[in-house]
Amino acid sequence: MNEFKSGFFVGGESCNGRVLVVDDEPDIRKVVRMTLQKAGYEVLEAENGAKAIETINAGENRLLLDVMVCDIRMPKVNGIEAISYFRQNYPRVPLIVLTGFPDTDMATSLLRQGVVDYLVKPVEGEKLKSSVARAMEQRELARL
Amino acid sequence: MEARSEIPAATTGHSSGTGRAEDMPPPLLTKVAIIGAGRGGAALIELLHQLRTVEIAGITDRNPAAQGLQLARELSVPVFAGVSDLIGINGLNLVMDVTGDPAMEKILRRQIPAGADLLSGPSARLLCDLVRHESALQAELLRTDKLAGIGSFAAGIAHDMNNPLQLILGLAENLIDECDIDAVHLQAQDIVEAVKRTTAICRDLTSYSRRSSTHPDNAIPINSKLDEALKIARYAVGLQDIEVRKSYWPDVTVTGNPDEILHVFVNLITNAVQAMEHGGALTLSTASIDGSTIVRISDTGHGIPQEMVSRIFEPFFTTKPPGKGTGLGLYNIKNVIHHMHGTIGVESRLGQGSTFTITFPRETGSNDGSGSP
Repeated sequence: MNEFKSGFFVGGESCNGRVLVVDDEPDIRKVVRMTLQKAGYEVLEAENGAKAIETINAGENRLLLDVMVCDIRMPKVNGIEAISYFRQNYPRVPLIVLTGFPDTDMATSLLRQGVVDYLVKPVEGEKLKSSVARAMEQRELARL
Repeated sequence: MEARSEIPAATTGHSSGTGRAEDMPPPLLTKVAIIGAGRGGAALIELLHQLRTVEIAGITDRNPAAQGLQLARELSVPVFAGVSDLIGINGLNLVMDVTGDPAMEKILRRQIPAGADLLSGPSARLLCDLVRHESALQAELLRTDKLAGIGSFAAGIAHDMNNPLQLILGLAENLIDECDIDAVHLQAQDIVEAVKRTTAICRDLTSYSRRSSTHPDNAIPINSKLDEALKIARYAVGLQDIEVRKSYWPDVTVTGNPDEILHVFVNLITNAVQAMEHGGALTLSTASIDGSTIVRISDTGHGIPQEMVSRIFEPFFTTKPPGKGTGLGLYNIKNVIHHMHGTIGVESRLGQGSTFTITFPRETGSNDGSGSP
């Protein structure tokens, strides 16, 4: 399957990439969106793992999604289940965990599964942006 | 297969058990009279009334305002005006003199009915010390279990604290270069709300973790206590995939220690949610039937194997992995409920769920105002 970089052309405007933010708290999605949009990313939102899976399987997202930022403690399909699904079905989409719970064992396990970063809230905008930028680079390399 | 167990309130000679307890031979009762209702007498009555093998025939004290007399009335233990009337009761096995008064001991030695033993002087003092020690241990046990439970709140607290903190940080960073004054106002308001959310968490938990208050005789609005417990339990267990159903009878109250009953509800709700690993329904219901108050906490989880149902109220019995449960939760719950003269029972079906039912004896309702039947 040919893959395209979302930065080329999205909705008529160029952008640095497309990020899916998965978190059950609308407030968190709002501030993450705010931060990433300022850095030139297009942001999609999903309120739980099930919605995230639905979103990534919808239309062009399958091809154009670059990075996913995912919470762990969520209803329906939780972060762990969603991450496992994405690692299996979309191994080239880099994942960043953004969680409220600092759990070393979980962080180690997820990083071993290939998660790019395990960020614990509250995380500064610069740190989030740098993590997303690193994930974007990883995404680029996966396309080569 | 359905499994049932009901743990009746300790008898004071006039209550009887149901469920499994009915199958047991009746316990051999020791009929006891207590002389002296000061601190020692009060501690003694508080402990003895929990024992199924003891019937407290009555208590007396020269001082009508003695603290043990009030407690005796609350526990439906007969209060006598004089020593002679009390020790004249037929069938007494033991007279316990906790007055510490040598003159009283002499009188009792002369008047004690045939067939009854007298416990007085240093022996009675030692017994009172032991009873007070036991009472302090029970209170500590309850607190230990509560604190152990708070350890499991870590994930929930981190989640609920760090989410508003993320909002506060994100908005504050954004405000640094936000030029739109309306947006500044809105975001500042969001920050204020987020700070309020974090302080509410601290308030809930510090109030829950404190030692139980020593004034037990409050009228507790049961419905709002269940709501409060649900709020606290969600720090220990995620309720994301749990459908919470409430069926509340209006204005139900019981008399007891509000901190202890909150602990009971938090524990039962936490257990119920933990039994539903893959989601399910948690039902909280209250009812008032023939003057009794019934509280039911039901889950649609994995259920309890029949061979374990009769053991779950034993101290240190746990099915949880090491480090996850103290095994004191249901034991403490049973003690608190018995202390309030109530009963607690469980019905469970493997693969279908469990229902814990607490029955408090006759209480009249007052103002609660939450929910409807």
